[in-house]
Amino acid sequence: MEPKEIISSGLLEMYVLGLTTERESAEIRAYSALHPEIMAEITAIENCLEHHAMVHSVNPAAQVKEKLFDTIVKRSANVTEQTKAPVVPIHKPFTSWKYVAAACIALLLGSIFFNYTYYNKYREAGNSISLLEKEKTDLALQLNTQQQLAAAMKKEDDEMRNKWKIEPVVLNGMPDASDSKAKILWMKNSGDVYIDPANLPDAPDGMQYQFWGIVDGKPVDGGMIITTTKEDKYRIQKMKSFGRAEAFAVTLETMGGNPQPKGKMYVMGKM
Amino acid sequence: MANSEQYSEEELVMQIRARNQQAFSYLYDHYAGALNGVICRMVDEPRLAEDILQEAFVKIWNNFDYYDSSKGRLFTWMVNLTRNLTIDTLRSKSYKKAAKISGDENSVINYQDIVHTSDKMDAIGLRKQVAGLKPEHQHVIDLAYFGGYTQEEIAKEIGIPVGTVKTRMRAAISALRKIFDHK
Repeated sequence: MEPKEIISSGLLEMYVLGLTTERESAEIRAYSALHPEIMAEITAIENCLEHHAMVHSVNPAAQVKEKLFDTIVKRSANVTEQTKAPVVPIHKPFTSWKYVAAACIALLLGSIFFNYTYYNKYREAGNSISLLEKEKTDLALQLNTQQQLAAAMKKEDDEMRNKWKIEPVVLNGMPDASDSKAKILWMKNSGDVYIDPANLPDAPDGMQYQFWGIVDGKPVDGGMIITTTKEDKYRIQKMKSFGRAEAFAVTLETMGGNPQPKGKMYVMGKM
Repeated sequence: MANSEQYSEEELVMQIRARNQQAFSYLYDHYAGALNGVICRMVDEPRLAEDILQEAFVKIWNNFDYYDSSKGRLFTWMVNLTRNLTIDTLRSKSYKKAAKISGDENSVINYQDIVHTSDKMDAIGLRKQVAGLKPEHQHVIDLAYFGGYTQEEIAKEIGIPVGTVKTRMRAAISALRKIFDHK
């Protein structure tokens, strides 16, 4: 898509509102990294919505901030409680109190040093545990959402199928063209027929595939299959509609097709 | 805890990453009203709204490392986090969110009765202008921004195809941008 198309589509608005799917969001981020005008548009939308929220501000009660900071300060203070330096008992008086004092100071300094080091390690460990826990709950939440999403999509898909009575028919290759295959979707309500000719071999120059419906044992022209677009050679396309048919088939005909099939039949599928 | 200090968004993000509570206090002073405004549009009980606001800021503080400035502005991240938290809270309390946001214009007027901001004059003027948006534009923004509706829910609520929601939203936000650009 062109940057202009993306900008005018409304997709960026949905993105800022958090209403795009994970995949769409990733695509938008990729596009915005490539095209500064998309990034600028996103920022403009963000600024607009921020402005909108600012204009509709409702000042919270002052206690909310106090409680909030109590919570935050307490959480960080919990970690700060230190263990006290162990007291070294001295049973007998030593010959010189100076040595005793020096030893005490050395022990105290050592103790402070270890306390400090272990406190830091303890804090780091605590931090990484809570980070991991958070990650775990986030992942569980994501998984849950994904499962719900998958279930919802399946339901929608089933509903669509029921609503439109779509009948997928596989047209299998004839014995002398066993690699060929095509798939059709037949909407029984409307009679619309779509074909996916992705597994037909390349049509030789001057030739074209023609689609047939077999009605009352006779082939009825179902239209020509377009296989010549440069970039994607084959694509799903709409054919002529059929109210009823016993079978569908594809033959290779001269360019433009024939009223009755003359060429070789490649694939066929019975209903 | 009023701060006289001013931060750019970049500095603010850096300072809060470094666990600077002063910077976080500034963030609160700056954005609590706006986030609370969103919550108050979704929640009827003031006590519950305050609890959600507090919880939202605790989450913002604890999860700050997850904010990625390359994905968008800080406020966008905060408001999406707050909205999701509010929706989760309402769902867990088996609330129905439908009651609060309704299609009629009265919803805007009702809502304005409960607003008690200490805003400057121009905010009140702008709010009137926003209220003067076409109802169809107002409605689609309200559903997404203050209602936490998904694309499909918006389509169902307004009675338009899902494919049209994006273009409707584009038109609505463009109208809103005009108001803010021409002030």
